[in-house]
Parts: sequence; C-alpha cells; structure tokens
Amino acid sequence: MTTASLHGGPEPSARAAVVSAPARPAERMWWQSHSAQRKTFGYTLLAPAALYVLLLVGAPFLFSLWLAVSDANVGDPVAHFVGLENFRAAWEMDTFWIAFRNSVVFLVVAAIFKGLLGTSLAFLLLQNFRGKKLIRGLVVIPFTLPIAISVLSWKWMYDSQFSVINWVLSRAGLIGSYGSESWPVWLGQPHLALAACIAVNVWRTFPFSAIVLLAGFTAIPLEVLDAAKVDGCTFFQRFRHIVTPMIFPILMIGFLFDTVFTLSDLSVVYLLTQGGPANASKILPVLAYQIGIQAGNLGRGAAIALFLVPLLLPALILVLRNIKRREW
Amino acid sequence: MSVSQPALTPSTVSRRRFLTVAGAGVTTSALLTMLDARQAPAQIKGTTLRILQWSHFIPAYDAWFDNKFVKDWGDKNGVKVRVDHIPHLELPARMAAEFAAGAGHDIIMNGSSILTRLYYKSLADVSDIYDSIGKKRGGWIPTAKPLVEVEGKQYGIPMFYILLPMLYRKDLFDANNLKAPDTWELARVAARTLKPKGHPTGIQFSQCADANLNWRSVLFSFGGAETDPSGENILIDSKETREALRFAKALFDEGMTPEVFSWDDASDNRFLASGVGCWIHDAISAYRTTEDTNPDVFKNTYIGMEPAGPGGKRVSTSAANVYMIWKFSKNQPAAKEFLVHFMEEFKDGMVQSRGYNMPYLLGDAQKPMPIIGSDPKMQILQDFPKIVAFYGYPGPFTTPVQEVVNLFVLPDMFTRVARGQSVDDVMKWGVGEYQRIFSKHKRA
Repeated sequence: MTTASLHGGPEPSARAAVVSAPARPAERMWWQSHSAQRKTFGYTLLAPAALYVLLLVGAPFLFSLWLAVSDANVGDPVAHFVGLENFRAAWEMDTFWIAFRNSVVFLVVAAIFKGLLGTSLAFLLLQNFRGKKLIRGLVVIPFTLPIAISVLSWKWMYDSQFSVINWVLSRAGLIGSYGSESWPVWLGQPHLALAACIAVNVWRTFPFSAIVLLAGFTAIPLEVLDAAKVDGCTFFQRFRHIVTPMIFPILMIGFLFDTVFTLSDLSVVYLLTQGGPANASKILPVLAYQIGIQAGNLGRGAAIALFLVPLLLPALILVLRNIKRREW
Repeated sequence: MSVSQPALTPSTVSRRRFLTVAGAGVTTSALLTMLDARQAPAQIKGTTLRILQWSHFIPAYDAWFDNKFVKDWGDKNGVKVRVDHIPHLELPARMAAEFAAGAGHDIIMNGSSILTRLYYKSLADVSDIYDSIGKKRGGWIPTAKPLVEVEGKQYGIPMFYILLPMLYRKDLFDANNLKAPDTWELARVAARTLKPKGHPTGIQFSQCADANLNWRSVLFSFGGAETDPSGENILIDSKETREALRFAKALFDEGMTPEVFSWDDASDNRFLASGVGCWIHDAISAYRTTEDTNPDVFKNTYIGMEPAGPGGKRVSTSAANVYMIWKFSKNQPAAKEFLVHFMEEFKDGMVQSRGYNMPYLLGDAQKPMPIIGSDPKMQILQDFPKIVAFYGYPGPFTTPVQEVVNLFVLPDMFTRVARGQSVDDVMKWGVGEYQRIFSKHKRA
C-alpha cells in the first residue's frame, strides 16, 4: 500500500493519469543555463591569464602611478600624496625636455633603420643558398648576447683613442690621423654620441625585426606571388600590393614590440655615455633612473618614466585598432 | 641661605622599564668593553655575516680581502662571512632594492655616492664604535664626520677614500723646461706647450664619476663652493666659479683634444699609459695601470701635489667610501665587531691595495704610511689628508648635493663652457639647476 492511498490520495486509475502527464521542468536559474555554464568555463580557463596580467602588469603600473603622485624616496618608508607636483617639476626641467626630444629622435631614427635593415635581411634569408641555416642562426647573435657585454664591446670600438672604426677609416685614408680635426670622437660629439647609441640599438635589435618579417613572408602562399609575377608585377609592386597587406598584422605587432623595447631601453645609453656629453644623448629612461634610483627621488623618477605612457599609448591604440579592423 | 631641595616625586620607573634600560646598558657596556679588549662577544659565534661591496680597482685587494682577511676573522670568531662584490655604479640600485625588501646584507658599502642622509632612518646607529675607533686611532680627519653624521649620530664608518692627484710626465716637462704642475696655472702652461708636440692633457668633460671629482677640485681650489658649511645655502653663483669656468675653457682650448668629451673613468688611465698624455688628474689606479702596461712611461710618470688655485688654495676632492649596517640586520653585533677589526687592521688593507686605500684616521695617516711612505714618487700622497674634501665641501653631502652630483650638473657646466657657451649663459643654467634641486628638497 502506498502512502498516498493511506492518506486518501487519488485512485489508482487517476494516479496513472498523473504519472503519465508530462513532468513540468524544474525552474532553472540563469546561471544554470548551458550557455552560462559554457561562459563560466571559458572565464575560468581565462582567469589565470587575467590574474597574471593584473598582478604582474597592473599592480606595478598602479604602484608606479602612486609613486608618481607621491614624495616617495628610496630611504623613507613613508610617502605622502603630492598631487601632480612631480610632473610639474619634471616639466620645468631643461634636461627633461632634452631627454624627451632625444627619446623621440632615438625611436624614430632607430625604427627607420631597423625597418630597412630588417626587411633586407629577411629577404636575404628567404633566398636559398648554402649555409642558410647557419647564417639564420648567426644573425640573431646580437639579439641574444648579454647586453652589457655587447655594449661594452661597442664602447671599446667607439673609444676616442683606440677606436677600431677610426683606425680602419684612417688607414683607408677617409679620415685624418689620431688627434687631427677629422678624427671622430664617437661618444664625445653631441650628434655623434646620440647616433652612436642609436647604431648600437639598431645593431642589437634589427635581427628581431628580420625574424618577425621572415615569419610573415613565409606565411604568404607562393601561388599568389607567382600569379602576380605572371601578371607582370615588379618586385616593388608585389611588395607593396601583396606582401605588405598580407603581413600587415605581423608588421604591426613587430612595430609595437619594437617601439616598447626602444623607448624603454636604458642599457645602451647608460653604458655608453650615461647620457653625456652635456645631456646630448640623454633619454627618458636614463634620466628617470638617475633621478629615481641614483639620486633617490622615486616619486620624480616614476613621473619621468610615466611620460613614456602618452608617447606609447596612441601608438598602441592605433596599432591594435588597425589589426582589429583588418580581422573583420 | 637656603638651598632649595628638589621635590620628591613618586618613582615612575616600572619594573619592566628598569629591566629594559639596565639590560641595554649592560649589553652596550659589555660590547664596548669587549671591543676595547679586542675580544669578540660570544653571542656572535655561529652566526652568519653578509657583506656587499664594490669590486675593488685593485683586483688583488679583493682576493686578499675575501680569502684571507675575512676568512681569518671569521675563523677566529666563529662567524661565517659571505662577501658579495658588484660594480660600484650598481651599489645605489642594490641599496634601494634591499631597503625595499627589508632584507639583504648586514653590511653594505657606499662608494663615491654616500647615501647616509637618504637612508639613515633605516641604518643602524654606529656612533658607539665610530667614537671608540676614533679615540683609539688618533681621531678622524675633519671631513670624515659629515659623510656619516645625521642629527648628531653616526650611521656609517668611513672606510677609506681615493685620491685623485696630478700624474705627470716628468721627462716631457724637463725636456721643455716646464715646472712641475704645482698650480693649475702651471698645469695649463704645460698643456699649452706640450699639446702642439703631440702630448695634450685631458680631464673628463663628460658624465662620469671622475668628472664630478676633478672639476670640484678645480672649483674648490679656485675658492669656489657649492654650498655654505651648513649645506643649506647655495654658493655656486660666485666670481670664483666664473674664474674656474674660464680657466677650464682656456685649458681645453689650449691643451686638450675633443676626445675628453667622451671619456669615462678609465679613459684617462689609458691616455697616460699610451704615452700620449702629458698629465692627468686621476686616482693612482692610472699610475698602477701604467706600471703594468707601459714600464717606460711609468718610469717617467711622477705624482704631484694637488695643484693650487690662483689664491694658493689646494683642495683635493676625493672619492669617499663608507661601510653601513642595515637596521634590519639581525647580526649587528658581528657587523660592528667586523668593522672595528677592519679599521684596526687598516694598514694591511693599504698594503694590499698598493697604496690606493687612503686612511680617514689620523693615526693611520702618520708618516711613513705603508707603501706610499716607502716609494719616493708616492711619498707626496702623505700630505693629502690635510687638503682632502668630499662632495658638498665645505658642507655635508646632503640629499640635494647628491642629486646635483648624480645629474652631473657641475661637470655639465664645465662641458658647456668648453663647448663654447658663454660663461654667463652657463652660470644662468647651472645656478637654475642648483636652485631647482635645492628648492625641491626644501619643499619636501
């Protein structure tokens, strides 16, 4: 006997009808839906990456923002809010504007040369020749060498007295002898000093540009290029109308990386000239380091370093928007 | 006549406070007694002491320091000592990192850029051993205290300083009937005479440590100063500074080549050792480099007294070096004990550094000093302790001066003049930079 019959429930015939009636589905909350569960699963998988970005990028960035609006210095555990005072102080510095200008010149000139040399090298490495693999390995050496070692080697090559570059040029009769007016002092003449620093930066990082471009070139279907050739396109026409549009997203990502690396490159200038002579080669990262760490004024150092953000942000937005647009 | 009696008040000293004060007193007096008797306190046995310092310009000194001096002291006192060396330019960054982490070495060295005023809140007060060492070794040279003193307490032990004397080619001077460069004017005449004969001179017109030191020696010897003795007020805007700038311009035009604009701290060493330079104003590492690389030039290289300025004043701006103990160090007794031992055995260090390490203690500065006292060409260095100065002279090495030094404001003033800017324009720029930096620190 069932409990229902004991308590005066429906008769067996009626009970059968109840049983056969389709069960009304239980009320489900929105988060129990299939699509919500899929989303939750997706976000869970994404969470470690998001957390990583928040902790390793967001937190230091927010901390440097706080430093920039505080009077923090390296020896005092307590810092006070000073508003935009550090930015104002940097704005008033003669040296800051020299460093700002040099940073822009450094970035633009280095980007042009890296683009030209990187493209040429990438095309060279596309060709078939004996020892191609070895050469591909060798060209990335500047990029992989410890920066301190490679820059110190350059420092020796730029030495005012023993520069191997000068001695070769002198022996070739292109410049005078040591001590003469035409003997270049690479790290001692304002324009040459900045040019020398840019040259080392280009030498170090153009293999990276070449590798990025090479990756792009090899992804272009040969049939497309062959068809263009058959149609009578010249090399430059193919490069402009086929290669460049097809590798544009890769180009942009490479450009973005290169801009960030170049603008934040402290080592080359610091090790070669420390920003001299008379600030002629000083760039923002060097100035920020000298003020923030060496002189102990963390707040102002952070403010100077943050001046790079308005310089980088438009480039970043432009590049990302452009890539996004092309994806659709 | 009535004598007023002090009112008797009930004692406010609690038992806990009494025990704390008495305990601290007994510990300090025991430490001082042990230091006095050169007996290490038993509590340092079995501990570990970590020291961070530069890589010495004389590599043999580091080998001796790590493998002999430190090891012997550690074995004798039952302390495990670890010494880490980094380039001197990296010391400020490393110090900032250890401060931020609140952990690191027990003893940290400051070289050239002495950061006492920046970090004193986080450094151990070492006034006790500073005084006891001074008393025992005849006192400190007058310019030592401002390096480590803040608000009447000492937060570091000056370890040694590095002189930058005149190093000149006596053979070239004699062959051209030139007097030894005993004054800056004589040095200029020599450079003017010898440059056309292929032997120019050189001082760094660049952003490096030697430029900061050398141009301050010129400025101070010309009677100029950056601040007053309090370190609060700027004195750079003076006729003496203008004189010094004009002198530098003339010296460059007449006796140097443009390569000095690119020089780093070691370029003048190579310049002398190559046989080209007629004189340089540099540390004796240049003298030693020449000894090792070009014996013929070394034979004719002599060391001169700091050149006098127009008024006969001589000031030798030297690179200071100081040991400090972090407040967070858990082994301060061993650290203090080690520093006392280091200062007591200073002469050994002077021998091992081949006369490079110069003493802050008057007792160690007595003639004859080790190495330099027995070398006829180096004996003159024994007269330098009377004229030694450091950054900030005649005041202390304050935080604004530190920023001025780290931004190379003074060498830049000299460089701008040498490059052709007018003295007035350069003074305007330089004074502006000093004022901006000082006023910013005052506001802070």
